Amino acid sequence: MSFTRKQLGLPYALFLLVFVVLPLLVVLYYAFTNGSGHFTLENFAQFFTNSKALGTLLYSFVIAIITTGICLLIAYPTAYFLAKGRIPHGAAWLLIIVLPMWINFTLRLTAMKEILSFIEGNLAFHPFLNTIIGMTYDFLPFMVLPLYNALEKMDHQLIDAARDLGASDAVVIWRVMIPLSMPGIVSGVTMVFLPAMTNYVVLDMMYNSTYIMGSLIGSYFSAYNWHAGSMISTVLLLLIGLLTWISKKTGADSEEGGSIL
Amino acid sequence: MRKRLFALLLAACALTTLVGCGQTKERAASGELVLRVANCEEYIDLGDWDEDEAIELEDGTVIFGENSLVDDFETWYEETYGQKIRVEYSTYGTNEELYNQMSLGDVFDVVCPSEYMIMKLMKEGRLVPLSDEFFNEDTEENYYSRYASDYIKGVFTDLNMGGETISKYAGCYMWGTLGIVYNPELVEEGDADHYAFLKNPTYSKRVTMKDSIRDSYFAGLAIRNESDLQTPEFIAQEDYREELSERMNDTSVETVQEVEDILSDMRTNAYSLETDSGKADLVTGKVVASLQWSGDAVYTMDQAEEDGVELAYSVPEECTNLWFDGWVMMKNGIAQDARKQQAAEAFINFLSRPDNAVRNMYYIGYTSPIAGDADNNLVYQYLDYNYGAEEDEEDVVDYDLSYFFGEDADNTITAPASQMNRQLFTQYPPEDVLHRSVVMRYFEGDANDRIAQMWTNIRCFDLQKLFQ
Repeated sequence: MSFTRKQLGLPYALFLLVFVVLPLLVVLYYAFTNGSGHFTLENFAQFFTNSKALGTLLYSFVIAIITTGICLLIAYPTAYFLAKGRIPHGAAWLLIIVLPMWINFTLRLTAMKEILSFIEGNLAFHPFLNTIIGMTYDFLPFMVLPLYNALEKMDHQLIDAARDLGASDAVVIWRVMIPLSMPGIVSGVTMVFLPAMTNYVVLDMMYNSTYIMGSLIGSYFSAYNWHAGSMISTVLLLLIGLLTWISKKTGADSEEGGSIL
Repeated sequence: MRKRLFALLLAACALTTLVGCGQTKERAASGELVLRVANCEEYIDLGDWDEDEAIELEDGTVIFGENSLVDDFETWYEETYGQKIRVEYSTYGTNEELYNQMSLGDVFDVVCPSEYMIMKLMKEGRLVPLSDEFFNEDTEENYYSRYASDYIKGVFTDLNMGGETISKYAGCYMWGTLGIVYNPELVEEGDADHYAFLKNPTYSKRVTMKDSIRDSYFAGLAIRNESDLQTPEFIAQEDYREELSERMNDTSVETVQEVEDILSDMRTNAYSLETDSGKADLVTGKVVASLQWSGDAVYTMDQAEEDGVELAYSVPEECTNLWFDGWVMMKNGIAQDARKQQAAEAFINFLSRPDNAVRNMYYIGYTSPIAGDADNNLVYQYLDYNYGAEEDEEDVVDYDLSYFFGEDADNTITAPASQMNRQLFTQYPPEDVLHRSVVMRYFEGDANDRIAQMWTNIRCFDLQKLFQ
């Protein structure tokens, strides 16, 4: 008995339909209707005139940008040395980096909190710092892995060639390595940046009571305002879509550039 | 091809729905009754007690939770009424979650929301009133009507929604107060007697607040009114209780604005806004005090005791929020099925049987409204077993609970004086605490939006700060 590709894809298509497409339609329905079920753009207008919602958006962006930046700074050299076998037992090190992903992240954060309390004393005085530490700890493996994959595939001779032609270290990194590993950077950034904008559990656990996008949406649902809540989800979805599209484009461009090089 | 695929998917969806219907019919046909119950998480005795947990009361009764109360109900119902029943038991986190679940199409027969949610459901006409038979005290199995404390029933009956009393629809399950659990060694005596304690800079980042709009609003409103509420004239006035209720249910624009400022300070001062972590943080000593419901407070004190830490509970002098959780029957679930309604009421009654009330109290730490009577004093015995002084103890107090147990039944516990701000006081507050209690009503329409917006304002990052 043999299956066609379409038949094999059916279970997943069904899954997507029930758990992704249908809920999405429900969200869109609520976003563009009011309490009496009529079409309205009021929720949309409300979001962009609500300074608190915009403040939350900004706050979430700042957290996500800083987290992504720090993850990238830590992960890139790590992934490079692991990929190029410059350190002994590279595979073991990689395992250590991936290992935390096997443990549920709330458990990891609970342990993290105890360590931080030991160092800082009272955690409540540094909610923002702790949030960044928690997020970075949580998302680091998601940055290391794609970078590792990209850097491992990179042809090392190109770096030697650039050196032979007189390029300084900075030029090698900026003009050769980074463009070549761009696809890895893009997928790593996408995997860290987007969840970091909504992962309110980290803030809760780190005693940061400021809302980010995830908690703001939740608060509207608890107050039975499904329409405004759905609209914020929709706006966030659009932003995420836009960011993914931009990163895909830059990723594709550099890949092309890489092959030309 | 794409069209066919879509049609196939639709067919698959339709099929699942049909299968769903088919099952319900089959159950009905086999004669087994199905009762769909939704309750808060960890809000019922799930049994499986260790042997040394058995509660041996003075009159020789042994109370022991072997199976969950849900299973025990199934057995009891079949024995009593000769009808097989199966309970589909599910849980939810908060009242709002329950409400949203039901709005999305989940159907339950019996649910256990808090008083304000019951009022909301009453207003929306979604509840089935309890039958006349439920209130008949001559029927042996009507444990709720027979054994619930008259005092609690009275307060519960005073709660109105649209001219109807809440008692018509709900059987009270648990009740309690809002107060502050604190570590008496680290908190100056008297400080925790006022809500303003939560924003006292002396305890900056060492107290926790609740991540709950209603409880925080209540605390904030009490701080706003603190000087008025404590004047002798205010307390002495004839309609003090009504006046207090009026003041503590104020949702006018100016009031909400003022409470917002107070809560803003409170949030800055707090260690965290917690839903559950406050208990653990108190036990480990990360914080010195925490705003809690009485039931959670009992649990926290018990836990801390195991770690050798003695905590205390205070009900602030301004006032306290008297809250109730109660069982109600849903119209869309019961659907005019008399057998089902009878089973639902039997479920409420079973949980109200004094021995089962004791099991629940032991397991979850909250306070049941069940008091018993002169013939059945299991609840009183349990209290005595739990909190009564040993015979050789010297520093004892006669703790009068006649308002709760009634004048005719056993109503006074001789307890160690140290219990006066601990578990006994928390679980069964004295009458003067209840005198300054207020039931917080359900915020309707604009008021709900206003308070929700206030909470969002407090929690969101303020853009204006950047431009100052």
